Amino acid sequence: MQPRRQPPPAPRSGPGNPRPTAPLLALLLLLAPVVAPAGSRGAEDPGQPHDAGVPRRLLQQAARAALHFFNFRAGSPSALRVLAEVQEGRAWINPKEGCKVDVVFSTERYKPEEGEGHLGKCSARVFFKNQKPRPAINVTCTRLIEKKKRQQEDYLLYKQMKQLKNPLEIVSIPDNHGHIDPSLRPIWDLAFLGSSYVMWEMTTQVSHYYLAQLTSVRQWKTNDDTIDFDYTVLLHELSTQEIIPCRIHLVWYPGKPLKVKYHCQELQTPEEASGTEEGSAVATELSNFKKEKIIFSNFLKSDDTSINHFSGKIAKV
Amino acid sequence: MRWTLFIGALIGSSICDREKFFGDQVFRINVRNGDEISKLSQLVNSNNLKLDVWKSLSTFNRPVDVLVPSVSLQAVKSFLRSQGLEYAVAIEDLQIYHEMDNIAADFPDLARRVKIGHSFENRPMYVLKFSTGKGARRPAIWLNAGIHSREWISQATAIWTARKIVSDYQRDPAITSILEKMDIFLLPVANPDGYVYTQTQNRLWRKTRSLNPGSSCIGADPNRNWNASFAGKGASDNPCSEVYHGPHANSEVEVKSVVDFIQKHGNFKCFIDLHSYSQLLMYPYGYSAKKAPDAKELDKVARRAAKALASVSGTEYQVGPTCTTVYPASGSSIDWAYDNGIKFAFTFELRDTGTYGFLLPANQIIPTAEETWLGLKTIMEHVRDNLY
Repeated sequence: MQPRRQPPPAPRSGPGNPRPTAPLLALLLLLAPVVAPAGSRGAEDPGQPHDAGVPRRLLQQAARAALHFFNFRAGSPSALRVLAEVQEGRAWINPKEGCKVDVVFSTERYKPEEGEGHLGKCSARVFFKNQKPRPAINVTCTRLIEKKKRQQEDYLLYKQMKQLKNPLEIVSIPDNHGHIDPSLRPIWDLAFLGSSYVMWEMTTQVSHYYLAQLTSVRQWKTNDDTIDFDYTVLLHELSTQEIIPCRIHLVWYPGKPLKVKYHCQELQTPEEASGTEEGSAVATELSNFKKEKIIFSNFLKSDDTSINHFSGKIAKV
Repeated sequence: MRWTLFIGALIGSSICDREKFFGDQVFRINVRNGDEISKLSQLVNSNNLKLDVWKSLSTFNRPVDVLVPSVSLQAVKSFLRSQGLEYAVAIEDLQIYHEMDNIAADFPDLARRVKIGHSFENRPMYVLKFSTGKGARRPAIWLNAGIHSREWISQATAIWTARKIVSDYQRDPAITSILEKMDIFLLPVANPDGYVYTQTQNRLWRKTRSLNPGSSCIGADPNRNWNASFAGKGASDNPCSEVYHGPHANSEVEVKSVVDFIQKHGNFKCFIDLHSYSQLLMYPYGYSAKKAPDAKELDKVARRAAKALASVSGTEYQVGPTCTTVYPASGSSIDWAYDNGIKFAFTFELRDTGTYGFLLPANQIIPTAEETWLGLKTIMEHVRDNLY
């Protein structure tokens, strides 16, 4: 069960929040949600009609995209996170270019352990470019799991994967009744990690995805001890309700960046989405344990410039 | 834990012979010679597959019916294929309908199973009518479930709720007083063809199974087919889309059956539609961002209901109008109900928030149903106290 947390009574700007605009965001939180639609007079126009739902949805989209990107870059199937609660944020909407969203949100472990109630915290800047995949993301999260513990769990998972007997006689994970055999759990976690890359690339202002089911798995022998496997996932896109099959090829070794290639079938539109990611993670881990943060960014220099000069209407939440 | 075992427990009858549970299938296997008979015996006698021969073998060229528990489906299929044994999956007889019949038989003064129509593939559409009073057209509540077939927690919650209503009548003051004043109509499987299809062919099927002339794609989204801004935004005119609205409003016989029944009755005050997933409790409108005239009251009731729901296990729901809480959706059931004078119109999107999604594990059925029950009661109590 994934219970949603209650929204906090006051904006949190706890220790380690690096964002210089945090006090400003705190002021903006939950006062009078205002959306300035395209073509309106000024950037901050309190006379506009209320539409409280839209900014909230947009912030959630941004948080999801940021989290998929974070999970992918962290490259750790034991340290996967899911969205708990969006806490604050604002958006600049430019109909021609897309939208820029700043969002602060809490996360929890994908695999909650007994007694663990930890909520991690992340802040992200997400740039959704109209009609283009791969939102540009700069995300910072507080550490949720101790590094050593995460490494141990990753290595344990790695060994479990290596010990699996091939060919794997699996038809689906979970089965149609939602059951995942414990021996197959590592496969699922690694598939979720690989799917995070796909879901990051495909998330837009309006589309967002969940991993519904794994329908085929094949592990390859390797010469270099890496985990190498092909699988087919079914992604569920919420706004269209479509089920999208994707073939994913993944190569992983604990502590090393994840390599993913994929090909998804878009049933509605004739185009098919595919992508490759073989880059290294840009990870910065600060040494002070108390303020330990993990930062990932895929902002290109050109993105950065255009974002800073991004002028649009501000929607504050 | 398996859905099969849990639904079996829900249904509650004593199990001497193994009964058929959700997800189990009956395989009709053709045996043509002695060699195939011995292969089949080998299969049936293997202990861990737990197969049950329903109609057994006497001569060659007669099919054998074997009940295969859902957990053994894959193993059995692999075996049959590898041994070259021909088989076909027999048409499902919905277990839920038997249970509805049992409830009506166990509580004849309170519950009746009523046929309101049929599906595209000619399966009956059954509702359970809960009524303590004589006289036609008492103010009534409609509980709709399973309109999107892959949302299994919806049908499961509905059948649990049916049992709960009859068990708690005259024990729980809340449901007792609700039933003193109003009737409850419960439709646990609003899309029977889709439901069978999710059990036999495609677990993630959503729509009906109607044929679309000129297209190889099947089915329309029954929750885009109602006559409320039909074919507006948030629906598709492409038969291959999961949100295809259909050729015209009420084209889907499953939808038309409900519409006709409710209109003929003429005195419904509340319409609640159960879906999954996302943990949302919503009210009109989906077809537009305009505010419903009763939005303020509906929002208050919904928030109270969400709070009651959360009090059980801490499960949190977001509350709001459909269009801005989830997405624009035209032709939806609750928008139709609301625009046709049924003020208290709500949609529940049940557990979870994406971890398992449609494939919610069986061990969450009862917790989900229990918490949802508190939410439903909150709404029904408000309706009882605010009849119009």
